[in-house]
Amino acid sequence: MSYSSTVQELIDSLGRLPGIGPKSAQRVAFHLLKAPPEEALRLSRAIVDAKERVSFCARCFNLSEGGDECAICRDPRREERIVCVVEDSQDIVAIERTQEFRGRYHVLQGAFSPIDGVGVEQLRVKELMTRVGEEDIEEVIVATNPNLEGEATASLLVKYLKPMGVRVTRIASGLPVGGDLEYADELTLGRALEGRQVLDAGTPADG
Amino acid sequence: MLIRTLELQNFRSYEEASVSLSDGLTAIVGENGQGKTNLLEAISWIAGMGSFRGVPDDALIRLGADAAILRATVESPDGREQLIEAELPRIGRNRIQVNRQRLSRARDLVGVVQVTVFSPDDLELVKDGPALRRRWIDEAVVSRHPKHDALRSDLERILKQRNALLRSAHGRLDGDAAFTLDVWDSKLAAAGNAMRAAREDLLAEMAPRLAAAYDAVARESAEVETIYEASWHGDLAEALAGSRQLDVRRGVSTVGPHRDEIVLRIGGAPARTHASQGEQRSLALSLRLAADAVVRQAGVAEPVLLLDDVFSELDPGRAEALLDALPGGQRLLTTAAWLPPAATPDQVLKITAGTIVAASG
Repeated sequence: MSYSSTVQELIDSLGRLPGIGPKSAQRVAFHLLKAPPEEALRLSRAIVDAKERVSFCARCFNLSEGGDECAICRDPRREERIVCVVEDSQDIVAIERTQEFRGRYHVLQGAFSPIDGVGVEQLRVKELMTRVGEEDIEEVIVATNPNLEGEATASLLVKYLKPMGVRVTRIASGLPVGGDLEYADELTLGRALEGRQVLDAGTPADG
Repeated sequence: MLIRTLELQNFRSYEEASVSLSDGLTAIVGENGQGKTNLLEAISWIAGMGSFRGVPDDALIRLGADAAILRATVESPDGREQLIEAELPRIGRNRIQVNRQRLSRARDLVGVVQVTVFSPDDLELVKDGPALRRRWIDEAVVSRHPKHDALRSDLERILKQRNALLRSAHGRLDGDAAFTLDVWDSKLAAAGNAMRAAREDLLAEMAPRLAAAYDAVARESAEVETIYEASWHGDLAEALAGSRQLDVRRGVSTVGPHRDEIVLRIGGAPARTHASQGEQRSLALSLRLAADAVVRQAGVAEPVLLLDDVFSELDPGRAEALLDALPGGQRLLTTAAWLPPAATPDQVLKITAGTIVAASG
């Protein structure tokens, strides 16, 4: 038996979303069909509103609502000489929660991964280079994920940015604060040893 | 590490089965196709989160069931008991629990139980192409140095990424693509050099054990050697630079640890082409024994030995010699035909049609 074309279209559209396989798509579709009309309409309205009002910041490619540039780029109190490069907008939320960083951001919109067809052209690398060339940027902090693709992206950025005379740094990786050494995995602990710092009145080794 | 009890639900041909295992030699007997090997397969799944027969998890779930469940109580050398539970659903992720606590990373189960598997297919280790020997040495490297698990998976992923990039270049490399290839080359060089060194070190460490194992199993003294033939000389970074044009043209990585070969020799002649079937079989068993011995003697683990129908392929003399050469500890073997007369199992499990009909000893 097959579904009517309207239902099938709904299932197919849901199935194209990331992380949703055919079975889940079917389940969500039937949930929506059974739900009261206002619940399903609220979802469709939320999608339409978000697509109409939210766009990508013309400068840093973060999500931006009401204007060309995002709230962070528009904020005059943010330090413009330091730019933190992240893979996705979600990463900005995580870094903002630390309240440690007062500079601006640049969202690459992905990580370098040839398997997924993501190369330099698909990432916002050229835009970053333009910013480094035009803005008064002194330091670029590379905060891509500490996995293979994130590290490759970091190496790539260094290759492009170093010749431009800007200071390029990488966030440290190591042990979670408040954790126990004995529970750390070998890789993380190994990295933490490599990145050890001189204990000298609290200043970092090479900082 | 000892496996005290094993429980299966909807695993392969078993609807429901539960058994306590002896800490010595267990013989699993029964006609062909009754489910003897499935018991070994269940243990090997718990050890390595996959079937040693190389089939996808889906094939392990009994026909008509939604999920298979494996449950084992294992005892570590210090006497601590752990309950390991694994649920393999047809749809969705595996669910692994240790002592009723769900593991946040399922991969953390790997290494809790170690096994060494002997199967008739091992003959291919000697007779087939280099890919099987690379898999054998890499598995041995990871058992000997568990931290190299990350190196092995990184290497696999780097190669996939680099090859995808080479394919997308369609034979030509422009400026940006060359830049990005540099990045993957440096990753491949670091991981590749490290893996080659780990393999060569392990082969050196294994050499005396391999010689001893071969002499014991073949019941004759012959010079057995392993020769590592790398696909490059010196530093891999330079070799990658040298082969770049070729790689771009072909769209694949032509040098690296994935192209290396381990040549096996008996008495100076390549075993793949010059040895008799009996010699090849003895050598295959010796490769498994040597990898097991290295892990055992380094004190990394005491693997549980799983011998799947290996005696049927051996003449009685070699079968007995293999039995003698096995290290002590927990050993499980399956057989449809006969047991070497010298085998004195501590426990015999009789299997018929996916049920354990009798246990003795």
